[in-house]
Amino acid sequence: MMADPTVLEKIERDVAATQARILDYKMVTFTLAGKDYGIDIMSVKEIAKFANFTYVPNTAPFVRGVYNLRGDIISIIDLRLMFNLPVPQKTADTAENGLILRTESNVVGVIVDSIDKVVSISSEAIQPPHPIFGDINIKYISGVVEHDDRLYIILDADRVFVKGAEKADPSRVPAEIVDPRANDRVFQPEQVHESYRVGDFIEQELFTLKGFTVSPVNRLWFLNRLQEWKTKYEGAQITDAEAAQEFLTTFTSRNRERLWPAAYLDSIRSSMKEPDGTLINVWAPDCGAGYEAYSIACAMKRAFVHKQIKVWASDTDLMRISSAPNLVFTQSEIAEEYDEWIVQGKNGPTCSNDFKEMILFEYSDALHSTSLPKMHAVVMRDVLSFLDEQQQNRFFSLLEEMIRPEGILILGDNEQPVDSASWVEVDDTNLTIFRKRA
Amino acid sequence: MRVEYINPFVESAYNVLKEVLQCEVNRGELSLKSTSMPVLGVAAIVGLAGDVEGRVLFDMSRDTAIKVASAMLESMDMEAITELNDMGRATITELANMITGQAVTKLHNLNFKFDLTPPAIFTGDNMEVSNPDVEALIVPIELPMGKIEINVAVRERT
Repeated sequence: MMADPTVLEKIERDVAATQARILDYKMVTFTLAGKDYGIDIMSVKEIAKFANFTYVPNTAPFVRGVYNLRGDIISIIDLRLMFNLPVPQKTADTAENGLILRTESNVVGVIVDSIDKVVSISSEAIQPPHPIFGDINIKYISGVVEHDDRLYIILDADRVFVKGAEKADPSRVPAEIVDPRANDRVFQPEQVHESYRVGDFIEQELFTLKGFTVSPVNRLWFLNRLQEWKTKYEGAQITDAEAAQEFLTTFTSRNRERLWPAAYLDSIRSSMKEPDGTLINVWAPDCGAGYEAYSIACAMKRAFVHKQIKVWASDTDLMRISSAPNLVFTQSEIAEEYDEWIVQGKNGPTCSNDFKEMILFEYSDALHSTSLPKMHAVVMRDVLSFLDEQQQNRFFSLLEEMIRPEGILILGDNEQPVDSASWVEVDDTNLTIFRKRA
Repeated sequence: MRVEYINPFVESAYNVLKEVLQCEVNRGELSLKSTSMPVLGVAAIVGLAGDVEGRVLFDMSRDTAIKVASAMLESMDMEAITELNDMGRATITELANMITGQAVTKLHNLNFKFDLTPPAIFTGDNMEVSNPDVEALIVPIELPMGKIEINVAVRERT
C-alpha cells in the first residue's frame, strides 16, 4: 500500500522544520576488513549467521551460494569478495556473520566480517561520499557519517544489489537520498523511503514511552501495524504513552496474564518429542506474576506424565515475583485440565504444594543466568521486544547455548528469533513455537 | 536467587543488628549484581552449603567496622576499640555468624536445608569480589555508624 503523498510531504516538512536534530536515521553497522560500515535499518530484514549454504557453480565469484531461509531460497553474497577485500580463512563448518537485506527487487543475504550494533544518527549529519574513497566503488555509497568518534560508510543496499548496478540512474546523486529536504515538491520514488522514516519516529517513541524495541524480533508485525496506523490516523505520530499503548494493542500475545487455555497445553504436547532422561528443565525468564510458569509446568506435566518437571522462573520485579509462589487464580480461567493441581486456598483457588514444587521462582535478572542447566523449553512471550537490541542479541546467544537440540522456544504471538538459522518454526495456531535444529 | 530465601536474610540482618547495636537500622533498596564489586575495606564471609551453594558477604568500611565492633563490645561492658585489632575482627566475624545463623534457622523452618562454614574476615584496600557464575542479591543496611552491604550469592544445586 502506498501512503498518501500529501501526508508524507507534510510530515516531512514538519520533521525538517521542528525536529532538525532528531535521531531519525538508524543503521545497522558492521565491519569489512577492519573498517566500519552502516546500512539503513529499513533495508535490513534480519541479522543472521549463515552455515551450510549450497554452492552454485558458474556464478559471479562473490556469490557464495544459496541458502534456505524458512523455505525461501535466497542468494548469499560475500561483500568482501564483491569489494575485493581480504577474506579471513575459516573452516568449512564455521558460521559466517551476515545480514539479510530487503532490496527493491528481492531478498539477499550478505556476508560481512562482523555485525557491530544499531546506531541512531541524525540524517542531517550524513555527508555525501568523497570521491577518493578507495576500497568500495563510490556508486554504492550513499554517504558517510561520524558517530562516537568512528567514521561509518553508509552503503546503499538497493544500488549494490540492483541488477546492473553500474547502470544506476546518474541523476540519483548520493546527497539526494540522505537529505530529506531536497525533494519536498514532487513525489518521487525516494519518498517511499521517507515514509519509512515516519516509522522511525514511531520506533523511537515506542522505545522511550514503553521500552518497546522494534528489531528483527518483531519487525514484521511492526511494519504491518505501521501501515494500519497510517491508514487510520493519516500518518499521526505517537506523542504520549496512551497512543503508544494503543499502537501496541495488537502486539500483546493472547492469554498472557492468565492460565493458558486447554488448547495451548495440547500445542506443547504436539510440538515436542518425548526427551530422554527423567528430568525436563524449562526456563521462564521475566515471568512477572507467574502465569506463564504455571501454565508451562502444567503443559509439560500433562504431556510427559512420567517425567519430573522443573521450571526455573525469574523476574527482576521483586514485588511481583515474591507473590508468584502464592498466586491465586480466578475460577473462570481454570480449564478442567488444571483441576487435579488446583486446591482451594484461603484467598481462592491456588496450586497444590506438589505442583508448586515443580516451579522455582527466583528474583533474578535473566541476562545474568549463566548457571542454569540445559533447557528442554524456554517460554518468553512478549519479553524480548521490551529489551534493547543489544540485550536481545545477548539473549539469543544465551538461548543458543542453553536450549538443547530439538528443544523449543516459545515467543510472543508477534515475535520471531533474531537469528533464524538455528530455529524451525512449528506449525501451530495457538502459540508461536520454534524448535532448535538438532 | 530463589524468592523464598530473600526474606530470611533481610529479616535476620535487620533483627540482629537492631538487637545487638540498639540503634536505628534502615534497609535500602534490594538489587541484583553479577559483575565484580568493590569491597569497602572489611569483608566477613560465611559459606553456605546444602540445598544450595554460595556465600554471604558482609561488607563495610574500616571506620564502620570499628564503630560497629565498639558498640557491640560496649554493650557487653567491654572496652571500645580504636583500631581494627584481633578483638575487633573477632567481633565483626561473630556478627556475620549471628546474622547468617539466624537466616539459616528461618530457612530450616521453611524446609530448606543449609549448612554454614566457619566465617572468615578479609581486610585491605582496593579489594574486589566477583562470582561470575552466581548473581548476588545486595541488601544495603544503613546504620548511624555507616553502611553495611550484605551480599548474598547462592544458587540451587543442579
